[in-house]
Amino acid sequence: MPENVLSVTDMHKIYPGGVHAVRGISFEVNEGESVAIIGSSGSGKSTVLRCINRLIEPTEGVVRLRGEHINTPGADINDVRSRIGMVFQSFELFAHLKVIDNVTLGLRHVRKMSKVEAEEIAMSVLERVDLLDRVDAYPGNLSGGQKQRVAIARALAMRPEVMLFDEPTSALDPELIGSVLATIRGLADEGMTMVIVTHEIGFARDVADRIIYLDEGVVAEDGPSSIIENPRTERLRRFLSSIHEDESPEQIETDVSS
Amino acid sequence: MSEAVSRVLSPLGKKSNRLVAILSSLILITLITPAQAVDYNSGWDVADSGTEADLFTSTYDGESVFAFGAGGTILQSADKGATWVQLESPSTTDLHASDSVEGAIAVVGLGGAAFLRADSSDTWLDISLNPPVDFRGMAMTSATSLVAVGPEGAIWQYSSDVWMERDSGVVTDLNDVSFLDTTLGMIVGDSGTILATDDGGENWEYREAPEGLVADIVALDYYSEIRIYAVTDEGNIVKSVGMTSGTSAGYVWELVEIESAGRATSLGLELGSIDVSSVNKFLVSGPSGYAALSLDGGNIITSQMNPLPSAKDFNHILFLNLFDAVIVGADGVILFSENAGEDEAVGFQVIDYGDFGQFVEYSKGMLLDGLFATIRIVLFGIVLGFFLGVVLSMMKTAPTTLKDIAQLDRYSIIRIILIPFCIIEAAIPFVRLNEKSWSATRAVGRLRTLSATSTRPLNTLALRTLGLGMLYCGIKFISALVPIVRALNLEGLEYIYAPIGLISPDGINGELYFGNFFQALLGIALILLGLLFLTSREFFVKRELRLSHIWHWNVNFWGVRPLNAVATVYTDLFRNTPLIVQFMFIHFGVQFGKLLGDPAAAFLEGETNFFLVYIRDTILSDRACVSAIFALGLNSGAYQCETIRGAIAAIPSGQMEAGRSIGLNYMQTMGLVIMPQAIRICIPPMGNEMVNLVLNSSLAMVIGYAELTRKGRLINAVTFQLFWGYGMVLVSYFVVTWTLALLLRHLENKSRIPGLGISGGA
Repeated sequence: MPENVLSVTDMHKIYPGGVHAVRGISFEVNEGESVAIIGSSGSGKSTVLRCINRLIEPTEGVVRLRGEHINTPGADINDVRSRIGMVFQSFELFAHLKVIDNVTLGLRHVRKMSKVEAEEIAMSVLERVDLLDRVDAYPGNLSGGQKQRVAIARALAMRPEVMLFDEPTSALDPELIGSVLATIRGLADEGMTMVIVTHEIGFARDVADRIIYLDEGVVAEDGPSSIIENPRTERLRRFLSSIHEDESPEQIETDVSS
Repeated sequence: MSEAVSRVLSPLGKKSNRLVAILSSLILITLITPAQAVDYNSGWDVADSGTEADLFTSTYDGESVFAFGAGGTILQSADKGATWVQLESPSTTDLHASDSVEGAIAVVGLGGAAFLRADSSDTWLDISLNPPVDFRGMAMTSATSLVAVGPEGAIWQYSSDVWMERDSGVVTDLNDVSFLDTTLGMIVGDSGTILATDDGGENWEYREAPEGLVADIVALDYYSEIRIYAVTDEGNIVKSVGMTSGTSAGYVWELVEIESAGRATSLGLELGSIDVSSVNKFLVSGPSGYAALSLDGGNIITSQMNPLPSAKDFNHILFLNLFDAVIVGADGVILFSENAGEDEAVGFQVIDYGDFGQFVEYSKGMLLDGLFATIRIVLFGIVLGFFLGVVLSMMKTAPTTLKDIAQLDRYSIIRIILIPFCIIEAAIPFVRLNEKSWSATRAVGRLRTLSATSTRPLNTLALRTLGLGMLYCGIKFISALVPIVRALNLEGLEYIYAPIGLISPDGINGELYFGNFFQALLGIALILLGLLFLTSREFFVKRELRLSHIWHWNVNFWGVRPLNAVATVYTDLFRNTPLIVQFMFIHFGVQFGKLLGDPAAAFLEGETNFFLVYIRDTILSDRACVSAIFALGLNSGAYQCETIRGAIAAIPSGQMEAGRSIGLNYMQTMGLVIMPQAIRICIPPMGNEMVNLVLNSSLAMVIGYAELTRKGRLINAVTFQLFWGYGMVLVSYFVVTWTLALLLRHLENKSRIPGLGISGGA
């Protein structure tokens, strides 16, 4: 029985305007498992992800990281966040810092490492995302795909127990998506525990061990990646067909493999 | 470097650069050319006195001006000095001193001559004294009594139709006497003699002249309980200032440092007469046609242009009211003015510079002094303002709400709320839990164990208990202030001025009680917080104050951000009041320079570090400088806060999320991620702020700080080359500000990072 890394129990989120974005979601992520969360816009995917590392405070519900209740006021939220890597849709690199400094910032100020130690680790993760030649560039001089890989390296450098990806390819040009997806796939192959919110259905099927389909703030379907081919519910079937209309799965297949 | 400058200057290239230079010099030439002939008119007009006799004294009974002179000459003017008629005189001796009280007029002269004229009477009552004392000065204490002084310490008092000699205790010649009311009076005489009475002139006691004064004091004016001025024949101006703590003027005398005479204590020429029209405004006159005006208690003396073709001795100068004034002098000279020479363009050049080179040679030293003084307050003001701006903008953007505070764990509540409170009140020394074994390390250890067991937030009951405590303290604070506010005697709308009365209930003689003000604020805050905490429910359900029937107004009290509120109050106060009033309030009202500068200077006493010595001797010892720095810094801080806040708001919220997501805490993210980017973004508007600060520093002249503009005024007071003087001040400001602007532009280019700034985010 693999160890349970992350568990979300009966999570609710009501935004200050009264919008009930998440209505009682529960799921678990085991060690080494990669879970893809899919769903249409406004289904609460990003909210769930942000509630996990408490960038948004969930209104109700319990989030546990390796069994530890992390969304109580008593929990050391900064420590918890440093154990959860997060990659954003719009990269959110620190524009005033070079690539290497972006990666070492957390190590030096959260892990309190020396500059030399931190740079050693940073170089190793940058090598992993294939960006060793751009360590001294500023984010403004990188392409979208390179930026997202720096963001992944920044999260990886903290040696997180679980990685959260919030639509990592949505802001990228189609021809730049490939390199990012390849990096994520590589992480999955190495056994990194991951939660990926994505619109890339083909990629989700290909990389994720499990797929959670959210609709209107509730888990509409939760199952192995094969549910993409054989949806068990009418809602998922309708969602998938609406996506397949404007994006052929074959196209995505070729992107991923490139 | 010069290449860099010219690149910055000419974005269009070299050719247009030349064009701009030619055009601007053309404009400059056309601007300067017509200003070559400025016609100066004197503020004083010559009146036809109809006599050639020397005039020695003048007085004003509220309706007519009277002038008295040699051979018993008496002149009267019913139109404030413009036209004069000679009156029939009861005497043929020289009349030297005159005074008027309640419509009655008295005049005294050589050989004991003395005459009294009752209100609305036409006849002079001869009350001449035998033995014949040559009276030099006289003052009336009532319509029928007077005190006259003469040579060798002679003091004679006339009241109830009898002359009585009074003991002066000195043998020096006495020159002038002046009374504030029926009892308080002063006499001045040769060799710095000063005598005072407080019983209407019966008994006189000696007062110390200021150190260094040996000249003969020739005239004085007892203007008010807090101000007496006198002048000497060596050009000194002597004044006595009443203390705010109750001592009235007359005890301590000082020589005025005359700023316009290069901080010397003498004008360098003989003075003979002074008349004061308000606490800081007076006219002085002297032989050889000298008359001058000061509007600031003698700091700057503005010489008056003499309209006469040849210099005549001026014997007496007299204010009829705040503006009308009369000068009488030798050979029947009478001058009158309707503006006491206040219009600067009517003065004359004491130092006559026809040559611009000479003028620059003379004024450049003063301007340079002023420039350094300006740079001094500007630099420190910028540092203070920037520091305040950063702190305030962080407070304004801080997301901490009351709900966050209520949800803090117990340890943090103790740390944040109870400990500072205990330190302030010192009533409940919380560390004395176990008195015998108390020590600092033990206390810390205790708190550590406390923290280990207290990571859970307060439950509702504890929160309500806390709320009750807050409510109690708040009510206690406010109720303690109620009697003070009652004692202010305010009614209705007048209560908007209550804070001022609360801080300074005793006016000019009392201390300032800022504690009262903060106690009131703290009390109100504690009562509101206490009520909120008392009524809280378990999950801090949004409690709104709904007045939707009247208008749509919902307030979520748990969403109130206390830090933001404090910063908003600060910025609102400073941005909604004029800077010039802030300058005056901070310097004169609060006396920041005195309250802060003096103790700080005392603290740094004995330091030998170069920088600290500079701070102590140049900054802290000059009260006006300290006040100016704080006025500029506090004001600029409020504006810089808004600028930086705007820049922080321009940083995408994702940057904060990204920083937090790798485990940085809020302050780390602000310091390492948000602020470095925000500061880069706000360099252009900050440049604006700083240029504004330099230009605003000119307002420091109103508190008597000798910065550039004030120096310019000083130069003009002496030279009256108004175009040259103010023009050079302008050029000096331009050099400073423009250098600053170039520097900031350079900094902006230097700190530019690809992808950050106006051209879009990363």
